[in-house]
This record gives sequence, C-alpha cells and structure tokens, in this order.
Amino acid sequence: MQLAQPRTWPLTTLRGPTVGFRQPGAALLGVIGSLLRIQMLSQTRCKHAETCCDSDKHGSELLEGCSEAQLMCVILCQTDFGSSCVSVEIEGFNMSMKAKNGEAVKVVVRCRPLNRKEESMGYENILQMDVKLGQVALRNPKAGPGELLKTFTFDAVYDACSKQSDLYDETVRPLIDSVLRGFNGTIFAYGQTGTGKTYTMQGQWLDAERRGIIPNSFEHIFTHISRSQNQQYLVRASYLEIYQEEIRDLLTKDHSKKLELKESADSGVYIKDLSSFVTKNVKEIEHVMNVGNQTRSVGFTNMNEHSSRSHAIFIITVECSQLGPDGQNHIRVGKLNLVDLAGSERQTKTGVQGERLKEATKINLSLSALGNVISALVDGRSSHVPYRDSKLTRLLQDSLGGNAKTIMVATLGPASYNYEETLTTLRYANRAKNIKNKPRVNEDPKDALLREFQEEIARLKAQLDKRGMLTKRKRRSRRLRKIGEGGEVEEGEEDDVEDDEEEESVEKEAQEYMKEQQEKLEREKEAIRDDHSLVAEEKQRLLEEKERMMRHLKKEQEATELLTAKFKIDKRTYRQKDRQMDR
Amino acid sequence: MAANQSTEWGTVCEKFRLAQELSEIESRKDPENNPFRSKYKARDLLKEIHCSLKKIQIEEEGEADNEEADCESKEVVDGEPENQCGKACSGDSPAGLRAARLAVVQYYLGVNHIETEELSAGEQHLMNCMKLIDKCTTTRENVSLFIQARNQLGILWAGRDEIEKAQGFLEVAESMYLLYMKEDGQPPLDLQDYFVLEGEELSEQEKIRRFEMAYTHTLYYLAQVYKNLQQYERAGQYCHSTLQRQLEYKQFVPLEWAINAATLSQYYITKTRYMEARHCLAAASVIATLAGEIPSEAAAKESDAECEKREELLQKRAEIARCWIKYCLNLLQDAKKLLEDNIGELDLDRQEELQRARRNEEEEKEKGRKSAILFGSSDTFDSICSLEEKVSSMLPLDFEEARGIFLVGQSYVAQAKEYFAMDGHVTDHIEILQDHSALFKVLAFFEQDLERRCKMHKRRVDMLEPICKDLNAQYYLLICRQLQFELAETYYEMMDLKLAVADKQDQPDVHTIKKFNHLCSSSMKYYQMFLDSIRSPEGKFPEKLEDDLLRPALVAKFRVARLQSKLISNNLPTQLENLSHSLESYNFVVQYCEENPEAKIAVETELELSMEMVSLLPLKINRIRSKMASCN
Repeated sequence: MQLAQPRTWPLTTLRGPTVGFRQPGAALLGVIGSLLRIQMLSQTRCKHAETCCDSDKHGSELLEGCSEAQLMCVILCQTDFGSSCVSVEIEGFNMSMKAKNGEAVKVVVRCRPLNRKEESMGYENILQMDVKLGQVALRNPKAGPGELLKTFTFDAVYDACSKQSDLYDETVRPLIDSVLRGFNGTIFAYGQTGTGKTYTMQGQWLDAERRGIIPNSFEHIFTHISRSQNQQYLVRASYLEIYQEEIRDLLTKDHSKKLELKESADSGVYIKDLSSFVTKNVKEIEHVMNVGNQTRSVGFTNMNEHSSRSHAIFIITVECSQLGPDGQNHIRVGKLNLVDLAGSERQTKTGVQGERLKEATKINLSLSALGNVISALVDGRSSHVPYRDSKLTRLLQDSLGGNAKTIMVATLGPASYNYEETLTTLRYANRAKNIKNKPRVNEDPKDALLREFQEEIARLKAQLDKRGMLTKRKRRSRRLRKIGEGGEVEEGEEDDVEDDEEEESVEKEAQEYMKEQQEKLEREKEAIRDDHSLVAEEKQRLLEEKERMMRHLKKEQEATELLTAKFKIDKRTYRQKDRQMDR
Repeated sequence: MAANQSTEWGTVCEKFRLAQELSEIESRKDPENNPFRSKYKARDLLKEIHCSLKKIQIEEEGEADNEEADCESKEVVDGEPENQCGKACSGDSPAGLRAARLAVVQYYLGVNHIETEELSAGEQHLMNCMKLIDKCTTTRENVSLFIQARNQLGILWAGRDEIEKAQGFLEVAESMYLLYMKEDGQPPLDLQDYFVLEGEELSEQEKIRRFEMAYTHTLYYLAQVYKNLQQYERAGQYCHSTLQRQLEYKQFVPLEWAINAATLSQYYITKTRYMEARHCLAAASVIATLAGEIPSEAAAKESDAECEKREELLQKRAEIARCWIKYCLNLLQDAKKLLEDNIGELDLDRQEELQRARRNEEEEKEKGRKSAILFGSSDTFDSICSLEEKVSSMLPLDFEEARGIFLVGQSYVAQAKEYFAMDGHVTDHIEILQDHSALFKVLAFFEQDLERRCKMHKRRVDMLEPICKDLNAQYYLLICRQLQFELAETYYEMMDLKLAVADKQDQPDVHTIKKFNHLCSSSMKYYQMFLDSIRSPEGKFPEKLEDDLLRPALVAKFRVARLQSKLISNNLPTQLENLSHSLESYNFVVQYCEENPEAKIAVETELELSMEMVSLLPLKINRIRSKMASCN
C-alpha cells in the first residue's frame, strides 16, 4: 500500500492522453468466449505462417508470433457451457457456475452521429435506432432493396442525439451505486476506433456536459462519500495493463516488471505486488489515472499499436464501514473494474484480419492453432482441457459469470463504410447478453483494509487523548494570555506562581515542555505521514490536527515568552505594590 | 531452357526472391498507417515477373515451333475465356512447365491479394492459376502447386461461410496427394524451384518436406472444415493425422505438440476410445521431454529466461499429468457403470460375463485399430510403447485391475499437485484433489471388504476436509459447496458402511455406536453447511431455489432428515428430539414441493419417501411420548 502523493507526479492536464481508453476488442470475446466455452483461436500472423510454411527460416519465427496472439480470440460456433464451469456431478445433477437465474450482463450500444467528413463525402447512415424498444437495425449498403435489415435488441441503445448524462444516469449510475453498496462491478468498453469509445468512456473532462463514464463515476463515488453519514470509506485505485499475456503495473516506476496472477484460498484471484493508491478525492483519482495513462504511452515507441493490442484495467476498490445494529462495524468492499479492451480492427498487418478473425466458420491458417480445433472437439464434462484461460479472463472471472454486475458498452459508427465492423460489434454485443452473473454483496471479507485502519485510528485517538497534560497547559496559557491582553490580573488558580524562583522554573519548564511537545508533534506528524495504512481522510484530518496543534504550540510559545516577560514586570509591580501596601 | 541462362532470367529470379522477402519479412515492419506497403511492392514485382514471363513465352514459342504452341497461345491472357481442351499437355512438357511457371506467379498474386483484403481479386488469380495447371496432367512439377492453390481456395471459401465449397477444394487436394503418392511418389518440385537459377534448387529433402507440409495443412484445414460442419469424429481423425504428420516430418514444437496430443486424448476419453487416448497420452509425455531439461531452481533464480522455461515446462507436464488422471478416472468409472447393479453395487454375474467376453474378442479388435493411430517416429516410438504398457487401456473388471489403474492415476495426482500447489493455484489444486477423491470413490466400488472400503472413504474425507475449512466462500462459493456436498456424501457412505458392518454383529458395542453417531452428525454438519451457503446474507433461506441448486438443496434436506432419524440413542427425550428434527426436515421437502410444483420432477423419489415419512414419523413420535409418559 502506498499513499497517494500527487505532488511527486508529473503534472498532467486533466484530460489524460488518449491512450487510456481506445480501440475495441476481439479480446472481449476471449473473456466472453471462455465463459461460453466459445473456442479461442489465435490467429496473429497466421497468414504469414501459411504462406511461408515452406521456408523454415522464417517459419518458426512466425509461428512464435502466433502464440502471442492468444489474446486475440474468436468465437466459434460451439458453445459448450458445461466445460467452462467448475462443476461437479451430484447424483447426475450438475452444479455449476452457470447462473440461470442470475443477472445478465447489461449490454448497451451507442452510436455517434455522422461526422462532417462523412456527410461531405456522402456516406449514408445505415443504422436505425429505436431508443424505446432498445433496438438497432443495420442495413447492408450492398444489399438489394428487398433485403431485410439486421435487427438487434439490447438493454438500451443510445442514438446520435443521446447525451453523456443519459447513458450515465440510466445505465452506469445503478452499477456505481451497487459498487458503493459492496458489489463488484465491471464496465467493458469496446468498439471500432473512431466510433466514440474514448468520448463515451472519458469524454471531455473539463466540460461537465461532455464528461464520460470515467470522470462521472469518479465524481459519483466521491460525492456519495461526502454526503454519507455514519459511514467511513476508503477508496483505492490500481491501474494495470495486459499485453501479450503479460501483466504490468501502470502505477510503478518499473513498468517493465511482469506481475504474476495468483490465487489464494483466502482472497481469491489476485495480482501479486500490484500497487494501489489511496485517493481522497476526484482530483487524486484523476491523477492516478493520468499517471497510468502516461506510463502506458511512454513505455513504447509504437504507442498506437501497443495500446490497441493491450487491455487496460483501472480498478477502484471502495471499502465502506458502517456500524450495524449489532454494535459491530460491518465492512463492505465493492470493486469497480473499468476495462478498455484491445482492438481487433486493422490488425490485418499482423495477420489478424478484422472480419475474418471473428467468424465462426473461418479456418485457422497456422498449425499453431491446432490445439483450438482439438479442444473444440472435447466435451468438457469429464475431461481436462489443458489450455489456460487468458489472463484477462482469469482476472475478471469474478466479473463475468461470477459475483458481479457487468455492463458492456459497444460503440458504433453509422456510416455505410463501417458496415462490416458495425455488424461484428453488434454480434459481439449480442452474444454478451447471454452471460449471466450472480451478484453478491461482499460482506466482511477477511482482507478488508478498512478494519485495520479503524483500529489504527482508534489507537491514534487514544494516543491523542493521553495528551491530557497538553490540554491543561493550553488552558493555562489561555489564562495567561488573558492576563496579558487585559493587563489586569484576574482571579485564578495560578497558585504556582509564587516567587521568582518558581517563576524561573516555570519558565524553564514551559520552554522545555514546548520543545518537547514540538518534537513530539513533529514525530507524530512524520509517523502519520509514513503510515501507509491509514484511511486517507482520517489521516489527513489527523495531520491537520497535528499541524494545528503545532501552530498552537508556537503561538503558545510566543505568548508564553511574551507573557513571562510581562509577568515578571507585572510581578515586580505586584511586589512593589505589595510592599507599598505593606508599608 | 535457354532463356533460363540469360541475364533476363536472372533478373526475373532476383525479382521473385525480392518479392518473397518483401511479402514475408519486410511486411512485418510496415507502419500502422500503411500496413500493406511491402505487400503492394511485392505485388508490383510479381506483376512485372508475369509480364516478363509472357514475353519469354512468346519468344520461346517463336523459337520452338512445335505442336504445343497451339495449346499455349490460347491460355495466356487473364480472364479470357478458355478453350476446353482438357488435359492438353503433360505437366512435364515444356509447355506444361511454362504454364506451371505462370501459374505459380498467379498463385502468389492470389495470395498477395487475399492478404491485402482484396478477396475477389485474389480468388480470380487463384482460379487463373488453377486453369493453367488443370490443362496439364498432374506431374511432380505441378502437384505441389495444385495442392497449395486448392488449400488457399479452401481457406478463402471457408472465410466466406461457404464451408461445403471449401470442403470441395480441400478434398480434391487430399485425393490428389494420395493419387500422386500412389502413382509417382518422387519428391515434387516446390513453387520456389520455378524461379531459381540452375544449381540453386532446393535439396530433395527440402522438396519433400515442403510438399508434405502443404499436405499436412490440407488435412489440418479439413479438420477445421469437419469441425465446422459438426462432423466431430472426422474432425478428430484429421486432427490425429495432422499430429502424426507433424511428428513424422519433424515440424512441431515439442510442448505444443504434447499438449495437443494430451487434449486429443481427452476427446477420445469422452468417446470411450481408451486405446487411442492412452496412445496420445503416452506420446504427449514422451514428446514433452524433448522440450529439454527443466532448469533447476537455482538456475531459475539466476535468469528470467530460465525461470520462464522452468515455469512453462513444469506447468505443461502437470497439465499432461492431469490428462492422465482423467484417463484413469474415466476408465474406472466407465467400468463401474458396466458392472454395477441397480443399487450401485458390483454385479457378480455381469462381471463374469464380461470377463468371458473379453478373453475372446477385444484384443484382436484393438490390434487392427491400433496400427492406424500410431505416432511413429522411430526415435520416440519405443519410449511411447513402454509408457503405454504401464497402464491398461481395457476396462477393469476386478479389484486387482482397478487397483492398477488407480495407482497410476494416483501417481499422476502427486505429479500434478507438485506444480498446482494450493498456494497460488487454488482452483487447479482443488480440482486435482477432487479427482483424487473420485479415484478413491470408484476404487471403493471394486473393493469387497467393507472395512477397507470404509477406509478408502476416510482417505477422501482426510484430503477434502482441511481444504473445505480453509477456503473463503466469498471467492470460492461454488467450490465450497461442491466440497461440502462431497464431504457430506462421503460421511454418509461411511455411515452406511458402518451400519452394514454393525448389522453383521449381534449387538453393536458402545464404540461402534459412538462411531456411527459421529459419522451421522458429520454428514449432517456438511449438508447443513451446504444449505446455509444458500441463505441470503441476512440468513434467510430462499423461497425459491435456483435451478442449479434445486435438487442438491432438496436432496441435502432429505438426507439430513434421514440422518437425524438414524442417530442412535437410549435416551428417550433425545430420541424424541431427533425424530422431531427429522420430521421438520421431511416436512420442508414436502412443503417446498407443494409450493413449487415444478420441483417435484427433480426429486421424485425423495419426495415420495418424504411424504411417507411425514405421515409415519408422528406415530413413532407419539409412541415415544407415551413411553416417556409411562416411564414417568
């Protein structure tokens, strides 16, 4: 755990580099695919591999390339539910992950308007959207007049006139609300480049009307937290990418380090050594994202290609602690995954040819995909298929078909030249509707950090309370100040101020005390700053309190100095007076 | 061919070489915004070559004024209607060679267009290529081109969702290969051989290799075609052939090949073809060792590459071990299915009958099948066979046979667990444990001695119980439920066995009763845990059970009811309490089915019994009550 320290980060504009959320995904299907037990085929560079199968010099090199394409996946016709689920036969009944009554993945599509260029070039709009019915109808521009439109129905469709807030309020808001209530939530974004995916996910950060899903959800989370009562929150953010089946942390300096995907009996699937940053407000979480986006863009010379072929996942963990009716603190942990999937279009160059790759009936050229053909023949029930799911699938197994609520946002372009891509996107989206989830509140998980923090805070509070002496002294100095200000001696309990000797010792003691306190406070302040496991806000508050106390102490000191000087004079006058009186 | 020696021919060859290089190597460095730059350059070169060839052809025709010219003059221009002259010339005649050379250029142009997403143009070129060579008889000069062009057309049509059309092209390629090998069998000319200067031709060996690989691809594409046509058996057969040929022509990556073979074994298992499955697995294990020694832990710490290699080798070997486990398990379970009577016990008559039948035929039959599936590369063949001999591929018919298979399975369990440790691989590790438990369960079926059978179930409990305790149900709900249910069932089985043993004694002693009650309550405990896992976070049992939980949940309730009534006690109040609990649980099942009639089908027998118990138990309870009253 690290404390968010925005100051040390390079200052970036609020709107992150466009790398963050870009390019759609065949890889999505990897995720969906393995859940539906849809076959995954790797096809990168297969065309090459085929044509040069007779030249072994390049052959092996190219075949190597093929395996890297494991993350590019294809849906095949066979959808065998059984094999994808961990299942056990109980008296002939199969208990498995497939949740028939579970909550389906919510799939929405959004279409951008024709842009000026498209209009001027005379492209037709081939999409018709019925917002009420949630239907999209696609016309094949090459089709004859009699041909029917291809119609798809989704949970919601957003046409060219839709506003950012429409999508957010209707579709995303409920999901974020459930994350705040302790569910896991995942938002997938995919769509061909240029169909408005970045606009939908990020939008324009500075313009409230045009803010996308990400800034809106940041706002949403922290507004909710600031309005809540009797609840404590801890918000952490992590940012990672998966590129060629390797997981990398986007928030560490050493971006090249490969992270391992692990499982533990206690806490499920996790990424070993993934850093996470505590964020206290929108600004900080935006910083985290910007820093990650920058890391993602600087690490590679061919940034475009890299980002279009890597998946980026921004993870927000929201822990909430609330006092239950039983007098115990209950901690709920919700997790939001914002997933930007790698693209598939325009992969021709590497042999992964957009349209070709996606069709069920297509043939794999490269022999390295033989395994896919074989495993497609295996009925999973009583056998072991020795192919690992992709890292993305394993990481998000909770989100798909697991314990989570999931939204997929598919973005479409309306112009006739987009027909093929749009159709593919719609088909993907259509398949995603079949995945069902079973959301469950994450109650009292063992690893809830918040609990640890609460204990920590309690301890600190206790420590502060022990400063009983401090408060007493404070009271005294206040009194002293009054004396100074008023110039009159009020009746007080300062019976300790008796004679010069005492005075001096008091003065000394006060100085020492001040020094001691100052050091103590400084130490505590350091300790708080160094303490990485502190609820961010509480920590900030404590730091501020310390700061305040130190300011106080300083004032006290000044006042004391001033006063002791004055006091001496006063006292002298007193004594003079006394003597006079005596006389 | 005089022209071949000329400088002009030299230029053609150089252009061809350059085109190949552009297309295959340079193209990978093309920028994102111009992804086909090198492909287009290659295409231009190919077009130039095409022109040059035409020129040379005309020249040669002028020179050699023979009867073949007649044929050539008509076939030249692209897209021109062809003269249906049939097999006008021999593939190895000068005219045939000229046609083939042009066809090769057409082939590469076709492939180039397909790669640059101009499918129709690509198809056109490939069809031109086909027309050129179709006019000639098939000889060693053009057979490779013949097959490769058809491979390409097969892929093209499959890409257009016209699988049958693809199938047509590929099947012709397949039969062409078979025919050629039968009638000629000499190493055929490779496509590249048409454009090299004399003395730079490929070696005979290389020619063979390339030709055979083209055919391997034909089979591989056919495997996909059959899979897409849902002819899984044929698809499996073609996958098998592909693997065989990869091995034979040494065109494979050991680990990849091994994993593929291991996967294929799983296909055979589901089809109960154990002989084939075993052969695949043995081959997988042997070929995997060709991937090299596993780097030591120390070496892995030194370098990342070694570390990755170690990880990969260990993982793949563990995967193959898991495939072996499934082989052993399924073999045992299939045998059990054959041998069990209607209450799940070993049917001795059936056993004898099967033993007699086996002696007569099985072995003969297998021999014939076996020769077709062998993975025969001379250097590995012996190792594969000796590995095969370690485990039977016949369904075991008695305890000794079953035990042999069980032990092999168990050794693979140990091997797989080594890599898939609990720490880091929770799901995999538990799946392996579940298989191990299943191995014990099926072995217990073959065991006649009840005490020993009970001990086998105890082993299952011992391996599953600690895992079940450690697992966080929040992340592993499903697995937790599976384990709870299995543990409950296992204790139940043990209780049944103890009961059977106790029945043989006249008066069960205190120790036996204690043991028996313990088994009962343990079983109940796990059923109850399973049932509790279905409750909402507020602790409420759902009014309507989800489909996949319906039967397990009701069965669990039913079992709990039965177990509660089985508890042995001398104490009347305790008896009364147990029976009341039992009645409650039976009532639950009955009531649930009344409220949700659709549940009835799922638990027909259990419901029937429950209804009966609901009517009977109150009588028994009353009897105890009156007994208690009379005692007081």
